[in-house]
Amino acid sequence: MGMSVTIDGSASVTINSGAVLGITSGTAVASTSGTSIDFTSIPSWVKRITVMFNGVSTNGTSQPLIRLGVSGTPETTGYTSMASMVTTTNNVTRGATATTGFPFAYQGSAISEYSGSVTLSSFGSNIWTCSGSIVNIPETFNGTVSGVKSLAGVLNMIRITTVNGTDAFDAGSINILYEG
Amino acid sequence: MTHRIVVNVETGVTSIVEYTAEEQAIHDAAVAAQAAEAQALAEAQALAEAQALAEAQAAQSQGTAP
Repeated sequence: MGMSVTIDGSASVTINSGAVLGITSGTAVASTSGTSIDFTSIPSWVKRITVMFNGVSTNGTSQPLIRLGVSGTPETTGYTSMASMVTTTNNVTRGATATTGFPFAYQGSAISEYSGSVTLSSFGSNIWTCSGSIVNIPETFNGTVSGVKSLAGVLNMIRITTVNGTDAFDAGSINILYEG
Repeated sequence: MTHRIVVNVETGVTSIVEYTAEEQAIHDAAVAAQAAEAQALAEAQALAEAQALAEAQAAQSQGTAP
């Protein structure tokens, strides 16, 4: 005789390893100020993180990127990644590699507004891969990012910032989903 | 003061964390360096444009000389 189990969607289910069953949503945050947005205290059992951008903008021209961190500190080197973009203007394509993070746009611009998502996946042995697609409506281009990063330890935070670290966010919102 | 936004995913608490004095000094120095670099770039570009214009005018005057 079969048995069905119904889980009340209002509560989470924790399995023996401490992982929460299913997908957990973080807290959406307005990216309207500050030089970086950090999501900290990410549980050690997490194996996939989806970073979601909703009309995110900065006030400068520095390339925006995602960094992964260990023990609350983002790592700033050792990324193998590339961002590319295609525009509606003559179907131009461009690309650029990056080593200081996972860039979610080919280049930065004060008029850019980024929307879309980037998925970070645990490969094992503290290695994380990155894959994402972001649209930038004001500049009519769509960008992709992919890459890999080997961390010095267990990931517990991510930082969204810019290459120069001084440009400030001035519009939009960011949230994450995470799952084990 | 410059700040960063921190979201603790365990607690759901969002905080604005002001830069420490040391972080602010690094930030201010970086901004000043970026401004100096932009200024130098603009000056070099203006100089190159002026030189190109002068060369074009010289070539034109040589070409039209009797």
